[in-house]
Amino acid sequence: MIIVFDYKRTTIIIVNMESGITTKRRTVDNIAISYTGIFDTEILSVLAKEIEGTLSPDDKVNKKVFKIFIELAQNIAFYSLEREANNEGGDTGVGTMVIKNFDDHYVFSTGNKTTMENIIPVMEKCDNINSMSREKLREYRRLQRNMPAGEKGGGNIGLIQVALTASNPLEYSLIKCPDGTYFYIISVRIDKE
Amino acid sequence: MEDIHIEGVHEAFFTPTVNFEVATGHCEIAGESYLEETSKFYARLLDWLRRYMSTVKGSLTFDFKLSYFNTSSSKCLVDILDLLKNYQNSGAEVTVNWYYDDSEEELEEVEDFILETGLDINKIPME
Repeated sequence: MIIVFDYKRTTIIIVNMESGITTKRRTVDNIAISYTGIFDTEILSVLAKEIEGTLSPDDKVNKKVFKIFIELAQNIAFYSLEREANNEGGDTGVGTMVIKNFDDHYVFSTGNKTTMENIIPVMEKCDNINSMSREKLREYRRLQRNMPAGEKGGGNIGLIQVALTASNPLEYSLIKCPDGTYFYIISVRIDKE
Repeated sequence: MEDIHIEGVHEAFFTPTVNFEVATGHCEIAGESYLEETSKFYARLLDWLRRYMSTVKGSLTFDFKLSYFNTSSSKCLVDILDLLKNYQNSGAEVTVNWYYDDSEEELEEVEDFILETGLDINKIPME
């Protein structure tokens, strides 16, 4: 799959290499970059390049958005309920990423399918993170970093990092899908300097 | 034992540049760290350091010059710092320099590594 943008960034062109099908989608409502599909290595690197290189003229802002992208995209790859086969013989999560561009800030959002059972602890983590001062959050990150690898709650440190990088609260919402599963959206605001 | 030289790569994943020298005890991790198998990559570096500490027993100068590392990498970086702290506690001469991108957030990150590991780290803004 190849994703490109036209020069005005109003259209996303998605080329599926296997089927040869080209899809064009108009971006709407301040959308700078949007993507829905598998969050595999290849796609992540294309999206990462877009964010790192061309999102904003300010490299510091691009780096912040990039850091947030890496952590949240990995969560989709690992934990999304909806999965697709990847090139390595395993499967990778499917989800959505949207970056909106406003005058003085960006809003970075990701969304993926989940179950109520799996998402309740994540929402509690977000509430917990949002209730902390920056100092407390840094202390919490130090604590989480010393937890042995693979321990439950490893996803924690990613969310803490997102909150610290953005310096803004983690906003989330949950939409009930017709099939009884849920679509979980997490958004964070990144101020332009 | 042999030196470690790893050329940094910026592709789908980002491999940091690594130079560990037995003769001088000079170690450097530079560039960007965002790896497919983070623990596996750093296990080799940790193993080298343990062997150096137990067989060569020389001084160590460690330069961290990372412009980006993800949270998985940061856990492994703490493991390295813990190892250096233990080595220093045993009486070895250890110098750690951390070059950071000139931003408040990254300075905080170094300060947190210092608090977390109890190791003295020289904070140096990157050019």
